[in-house]
Amino acid sequence: MGVDNFWLWRYTSASTTRHKITTEYKNTVSAPLWQACLNHLEGELTSEQFNTWIRPLHAEEEPECLRLLAPNRFVLDWVNEQFIEQITATVARLVNGTAPVIQLEIGSRQLTANTEVASEAGLDSAKMRRNGQQGPSIQTAPEQVPAHFSALNKTFTFDSFVEGKSNQLARAASMQVGENSGAAYNPLLIYGGVGLGKTHLMHAVGNLILAKNPQAHVVYLHSERFVADMVKALQHNAINEFKRYYRSVDALLIDDIQFFAGKGRSQEEFFHTFNTLLERQQQVIMTCDRYPKEVDGLEERLKSRFGWGLTVAIEPPELETRAAILMNKASLVQIDLPREVAFFIAKRIYSNVRELEGALRRVIANAHFTGKAITLDFAKESLRDLLALQEKLVSIDNIQKVVAEYYKIRVADLHSKRRTRSITRPRQIAMALAKELTTHSLPEIGDAFGGRDHTTVIHACKKVKELKESDSRIHEDYTNLLRTLST
Amino acid sequence: MSDQLPLHIGLRDSATFANFYPASNEQLIAELRRCVMNQGEHFIFFHGISGTGKSHCLQAVCHAATKQQLQATYLPMRDIQSMPVDLLEGLEQFDIVCIDDVESIAGNREWEVAIFNLYNRIRDNSGYLMVAANSKPDELGIHLKDLQSRLTWGLVFQIESLDDAALALTLQLRAKTRGMELPDDVAAYILKRSSRDMNTLFSLLEILDRESLVEQRKLTIPFVKNYL
Repeated sequence: MGVDNFWLWRYTSASTTRHKITTEYKNTVSAPLWQACLNHLEGELTSEQFNTWIRPLHAEEEPECLRLLAPNRFVLDWVNEQFIEQITATVARLVNGTAPVIQLEIGSRQLTANTEVASEAGLDSAKMRRNGQQGPSIQTAPEQVPAHFSALNKTFTFDSFVEGKSNQLARAASMQVGENSGAAYNPLLIYGGVGLGKTHLMHAVGNLILAKNPQAHVVYLHSERFVADMVKALQHNAINEFKRYYRSVDALLIDDIQFFAGKGRSQEEFFHTFNTLLERQQQVIMTCDRYPKEVDGLEERLKSRFGWGLTVAIEPPELETRAAILMNKASLVQIDLPREVAFFIAKRIYSNVRELEGALRRVIANAHFTGKAITLDFAKESLRDLLALQEKLVSIDNIQKVVAEYYKIRVADLHSKRRTRSITRPRQIAMALAKELTTHSLPEIGDAFGGRDHTTVIHACKKVKELKESDSRIHEDYTNLLRTLST
Repeated sequence: MSDQLPLHIGLRDSATFANFYPASNEQLIAELRRCVMNQGEHFIFFHGISGTGKSHCLQAVCHAATKQQLQATYLPMRDIQSMPVDLLEGLEQFDIVCIDDVESIAGNREWEVAIFNLYNRIRDNSGYLMVAANSKPDELGIHLKDLQSRLTWGLVFQIESLDDAALALTLQLRAKTRGMELPDDVAAYILKRSSRDMNTLFSLLEILDRESLVEQRKLTIPFVKNYL
């Protein structure tokens, strides 16, 4: 199989569609016989059956043949077993004279569409990929460097990445890698919880590499895609093309490597790809949802290799960064988000940036729908359901319970007058968390901790802030507790 | 005189936007319609209790997509969770993918990962994904945090239950699309005596439709009473 063919099935999910790609789609108008058939079947089948199995079929009508395309092998087999007789009978009822032969195949309208049509229509790269089509440089001869599809999201740049204490190291390292691809830190591994911006940073590096060298072959993909491609390469006896494809990139950006866990063959292939790229000083960037050594099911040799370059963490963003993220995202869609609204949302949603963005989307969508300006009251109303949930989940009682469990003390100790360090420290941390995660006033928080004065709460918050700066263990404890309480 | 036999033709209603009474869910419907026009948010999650019309909305999206020459598919997870996850292969090539009852696969690692992967592929391909569930993303019991966080990324709506007045209008709208007239007093009578779950009400309407045709009767309180 040539490299161009490798590309074709790479973006073709069902293996047996390969032969379909070369078939030009002649009948671009809707298929009238199939449409009539659908109208009948819709009344005869349950709505679930119809919408799950029948509606998704794409029809191509020829004089003697009605070709139905299923998206994958499973759907094809299921339709064949469950519905083909009913389809055949319906078609026979609708046709005067000889009914066409019904042919069930794997494929889709997009896969059979003519590439030229898409190009002339000016479809963007993502759309073309949806259409199962390659980029414009695909006509590469098999022996040349394969045409790579970067899959980079152009909006994920360093400019659109909001820097804060929680991510500044990761951002600086990523920037270095973008400026000196293959030379600065190789591999670069960014780890942290879900929705904190790992993928954004990774794309930003890729985009910077391309900005500095537009000819660079930068490929971003999710680890699952790597696994799926490898499986297909094995099925098609095309493992050499697979290797050549991934080993000829200038930068390989691979997301969520924790999904390699337990997939021995994929890990082995990735191990060799990884080694080859590093030997040739081609850049490798990876993300993981935790420190790689903590991922069960990853081979030790891989974990060891991952540590050769630089491993950097992204922590959940602090309040100011969350607010800045919101204002930044809003400005990208030409919305002027009032500062008080940004802080209102940021104060209540702290678990990850995705959720933060989701809340902002909802506020903006509501504003568009109602034609109203975004004010604090408007935001409160728009996020009523979401905020009710947050406030329900994070109560002072809950914070005390989680902190007590974490430090293996009793909740009653947090309420008590005891002043030993083993008790005061958790108490201060719990107070600081209550201030950060709830909307209770300082007197209310003090009251919830054995009737303490609000100045005690102020002191606790100040103390915890200092300790977070000076004591890495306190910093880690606080981060862990924040994560536990907010997810 | 013998009873008139109803013709065995398509009596069941299609789920469309035209026969869905949005009541307080107008914004959700507007956003779903925008997707079908290839506009708006690419990911919408909506949740609500049973019988609020979640499945109807997703199927209406598929119906409208077909009219727009778009390809759409509907995945009722409750029904298909026992099938292999290979079922999702290649679905990112559809313009719109609708996943219903996603709570059914919560805790099922294989399906959670498969839907997470499908989400990523759809996003990479700039497709549209609509997901419905019985509760908010963080209350679903999804173990895979990567998937849970993605479910919060787009627009999240709660689909609200209809009050009695809206239920009556919904029932009358549905009756009208079936060629029946359901007077106000009869609709109110039904709502006082039947479960107000939408699925139950529509099933009742289907029975009334069939029986009124057989008996050549209009929908009156004495007639309806026989089927409650």
